[in-house]
Order: sequence, then C-alpha cells, then structure tokens
Amino acid sequence: MPLKTLQPAHSIQTPANNSTHSWLRIILIGRNLKRTLLRAGMWAAVCFVIFRVALVRVEVIGISMLPTCPEYSRYWVNRSAYLWHEPQRGDIVAIRLAGIHEMLLKRIIGLPGETVAFSNGRVLINGDVLNEPYEKYPCNWDQPPILLTNGEYYVCGDNRTMPAADHEHGICQRYRIVGKLLK
Amino acid sequence: MKIGIRLALVTALAAAAIWFWTDHFPSPQEIIRAQLNQMARYASFNSTQSQLAALAAAEKLSGFVDTNVQVVLEFPGHEVRTINGREELRQDIVAARLSLDKLKVDFPDINVAVAPDENSAVADLTMRAETDGDKDGVAEELKFTFEKIDGQWLVTRIETVQVLT
Repeated sequence: MPLKTLQPAHSIQTPANNSTHSWLRIILIGRNLKRTLLRAGMWAAVCFVIFRVALVRVEVIGISMLPTCPEYSRYWVNRSAYLWHEPQRGDIVAIRLAGIHEMLLKRIIGLPGETVAFSNGRVLINGDVLNEPYEKYPCNWDQPPILLTNGEYYVCGDNRTMPAADHEHGICQRYRIVGKLLK
Repeated sequence: MKIGIRLALVTALAAAAIWFWTDHFPSPQEIIRAQLNQMARYASFNSTQSQLAALAAAEKLSGFVDTNVQVVLEFPGHEVRTINGREELRQDIVAARLSLDKLKVDFPDINVAVAPDENSAVADLTMRAETDGDKDGVAEELKFTFEKIDGQWLVTRIETVQVLT
C-alpha cells in the first residue's frame, strides 16, 4: 500500500489561488528569471546611454535666446548630433564651460572660414546679409568683420535687443560645443 | 558556491584596500579638488552668519592662497578687476561680506591637471554664484593656478576664462 503524505491545510493551493500566483510571478519576474534579468540589464544599459551619454537635460536661465527658448523652459541636448557631421548654421547648440553642469545656449551664425560682421543689426556672412527668420526683435549692432579659422564658430543669442556689450556672443571653439538642442 | 563566496570576499577586500589607499594617500588632484570645495564653502555665507564667523571664514579662505596671489576677473559687461596679494583679497572678501546678505558659491565642474614634477597644477572649473537678490545667479569658468609651497598647495593666480572670444 502506498504511503499517503499529509499537508497542512493552509499550504493546499486551490486552482484559482495557483493561477493568481503564477500570473503575479510572470508579471514580476517573467517566465524565465535569467532572461528577465538579462532584459532588465539591457534596458538599463540602453537608458543609461540615452539619458546619460547621448542626451543632456537643460533648463534655460536668462533671456538671450528669446523668443525661441523662453526662460525656465526645459529641453534635451543631443550630444551625438555631431558625431557624423559638423555643426551647421542655424543650429542651437549647448556650449560647455569647464564641464556640462553649466552651459551656454546659443545659435551658430558663422562657420569656419567665413567672415562675420554686424551692420545696423543685420548679420553679414562674407559680406552678404544672413536671412534670420528666428530674429524677431529689432537690433542695431555694428561690428567689424571677424575671420573664423578652423574649428571656430560664431555663436549668438536670438535676443539682440540689448547693447552688444551686454550680450554674450562671439567665437566658440569646436571642442566646447556639446551638442544640438532638440526642439 | 565556494568560488562565489571567495570571489565576493576578494572583491570586498580589494574595494576596502582601494578605499583605504585613496582615503589615506590622496592624489594631488584629489587634494586640490577637496581644497577648492572647501574654498567654495568658506566663500559662501548667509544672513544668519555673524560678523565674527564671516571674518573667520575670510581668514580661512585667504589661507588657501599665496601671499603674492593675483586675481584677474573679467565678467561680461563689467570692467576688469585685478587683486594683488593675499591682504587685498582678504579685504575684498570682507567687503563683499558686508555688502551682501547672502552668497552661495559652488564649483560643479572641476578639472585638475598636475605638472609632471607635481609642484604646480592648474584647475579649470565652473563657478556658480548666487546672491540674495539674484536667484538665477551667475556661472563663469575660472582658472586656478596652484603651486606646492612648503608641502601645501597654494593658489598663486585666479583668472576668468573667456568661453566666447
């Protein structure tokens, strides 16, 4: 005669109880724990690369990029934007100081090899007037031509209502450009 | 399982050894970094700080610099300000303390490069400063030059770095 084992009443699982338990298990750790851990690790790595390496969150402090970027608005900066090509005219770029905890946000108006000048508020690139549809406010800046050498970009904010001396603008070295603003 | 436990023990021992070594024998970079963070703490004050404490902080702050320190500050829209010597710097710190209610200084990014002979170093850093009337504050890049004098790293020059020229 086979030996019959007895279980305590509380450990006996009903089919309904068992089903709930298995669903909960599937939701929490999946059908295969190893695969779930591997998948979680991969997602963590992807998130790390995207949110720590490829993108940087920035908050705009100041009015130099009005009206394009209002003060206290938040954006992402794409750090991988210039891996395959160089910065383009019209790009809004983040420019680092000693690191990326504090950066300047400016628009590129002049490229290496060009001369940049201001005449009665209009930007002149190699002597030709630059079309700037983002420039909404009147400006009266005058500045003699500056020749940009290799690796030099001329950057400026969109809000040029203040005197030129009060607006941080000028030549930016390529190595300082962290990435392009995503809008 | 035995291998796992051994591996964990070896890792823990290695971590403890690294921690002990870096804590007790910091590199010049770490010493300078810690010194700069201390300087930022001493440069900061709020309205609740007594005059005596402010004077003590100014004294401690000037202790980090060489007697012949030179400070050249050039901020956009302002004239160039030059400070020569520790005493002049100390007076300026006290004057700033008297004219402001609150100042919060920190260095969120610090890059330290030590010369091969380990007798001089340059720290390139971002300074963030907030005063009571300006909640957004200012951020500037500064260059600190250090020299090792009598075994101590002292600041011999502070200057602003022009990000856009």
